[in-house]
Amino acid sequence: MQFGIFTVGDVTMDPVTGRMPSEHERIKAMVAIALKAEEVGLDVFATGEHHNPPFVPSSPTTMLGHIAARTERLILSTATTLITTGDPVKIAEDFAMLQHLADGRVDLMLGRGNTGPVYPWFGKDIRQGIPLAIENYALLHRLWREDVVDWEGRFRTPLQSFTATPRPLDGVPPFVWHGSIRSPEIAEQAAYYGDGFFANNIFWPKEHFIQLVGLYRERFAHYGHGTPEQAVVGLGGQVFMRARSQDAVREFRPYFDNAPVYGHGPSLEEFTEQTPLTVGSPQEVIDKTLTFRDSFGDYQRQLFLMDHAGLPLKTVLEQLDILGAEVVPVLRREFAAGRPAAVPDGPTHEALLAAAARPVPASS
Amino acid sequence: MKPMNLVVVTAGLGKPSTTRLLADRLAEGAVRSLAGERTVETQVVELRDLAVDIANNLVTGFPGARLRDALEAVRRADGLIAVTPIFTASYSGLFKSFFDVIDNSALDGKPVLVAATGGTARHSLALEHALRPLFAYLRAIVVPTAVYAASEDWGTAGDAATGDLATRIARASGELAGLMSHRPAAAGRSDTVVPFEQQLAALRP
Repeated sequence: MQFGIFTVGDVTMDPVTGRMPSEHERIKAMVAIALKAEEVGLDVFATGEHHNPPFVPSSPTTMLGHIAARTERLILSTATTLITTGDPVKIAEDFAMLQHLADGRVDLMLGRGNTGPVYPWFGKDIRQGIPLAIENYALLHRLWREDVVDWEGRFRTPLQSFTATPRPLDGVPPFVWHGSIRSPEIAEQAAYYGDGFFANNIFWPKEHFIQLVGLYRERFAHYGHGTPEQAVVGLGGQVFMRARSQDAVREFRPYFDNAPVYGHGPSLEEFTEQTPLTVGSPQEVIDKTLTFRDSFGDYQRQLFLMDHAGLPLKTVLEQLDILGAEVVPVLRREFAAGRPAAVPDGPTHEALLAAAARPVPASS
Repeated sequence: MKPMNLVVVTAGLGKPSTTRLLADRLAEGAVRSLAGERTVETQVVELRDLAVDIANNLVTGFPGARLRDALEAVRRADGLIAVTPIFTASYSGLFKSFFDVIDNSALDGKPVLVAATGGTARHSLALEHALRPLFAYLRAIVVPTAVYAASEDWGTAGDAATGDLATRIARASGELAGLMSHRPAAAGRSDTVVPFEQQLAALRP
């Protein structure tokens, strides 16, 4: 199982000091957070993609390429790459290039994006969100698997004898996750291709996601990729920890109360009861995260949102120290215990390469 | 035969509330009209008690447990009575917010009786100009008689055209009962997904 962090990349005022970081500071902070993730023994760093203020990461592969040069083991990913407004040809090329530079330590999570005005900025129509996600990925999937592609679709110019370069490293395309908050169509898409499904469960109650993940597992098996238990599931979480629970609550409350997403709404106590947010001791984070397996079954990737609500970089780095030292080692041990052998590990380039090299039984 | 579910959504703010009083009268009328054929279970949703939950849902995008139960009760209802005080020429903000957070297919084909209270009868067409379009958007079937109760209605006889409040209540609740008894049982939630090949095929140029 893989553990990591994902970041939205928002520039948010620290509500305690009133200080607003610059875009430059935020971008450098994201890099520092990624480097820290490797230092404390995490497996994955994933960045969002946004094209409007107050968010900075408009160019994820540029940032991930930079981080790739400064890390050794960390898997570089996205949360999410916009498959609706991005050109599948450019996505195919950008991520194949990144794969070569990072020696395979790359995967990506596709998402539709939910900000209406972004679509026309890239010449697209939000009413076509789902069809764009379906057609664009169908093309991306081919561009990574076929050296020469003839293609015609509804949303971009046709391709004649087109070869996306560079070809994927070792002929193995980057692993793809399909991220979704509410769309069963996306769970169905992930299942059809045998790709991963990431349920971004951090802001909503679990009942909703249990249905969505259940649908994905069932359809994954329907399409012949394995048993429902072998489907590749990723989940989110967001935490704030201090050694003593009451210190965590006291320190985080002003950040919670003013957070861009949920601030000025429910109380910290109500929100932590209803969603994966955990504010407390490392043990409380461990306990809450372990309940995810009860709800969703054994899964492959757990990503935590750590740099949220305007927390200063220094605090985020302290949080990562605690996560790496006290939480993830216990979670690795506990999640490994009782995990059926048939349940796959989190996807890596090496594992995909080995699977590709395995002889396929002849059909005739 | 299973009892029918009648859900009453009332947005009155006072305790006791005139809006609730009107809602209860309408519910009694509907139950009485159905008495010969079906037993009816009535559940009242007081939006006042859910005001903070509704505001939180607007902020977070999901309902807390109590609000979720109320939304689910409305979704499963065989008939709905929706009553609001008229504020500033229309339904109250609390009333609208409840129907803003409900799933937009939850009321498909559902018989709905709309009613309102107000200080003066001069606002009575708010029912026709605000509530009826709201429920038409939600694809509900709104009964022909909408009941408006102004302060003076509680103590006076009505006019020749519409009858007094008791008459209007009886007519409206009778219409609701009629629609409820001819309606197939409320459908369960359908989460069937369109198979992916079909989604792909729909996009072929």
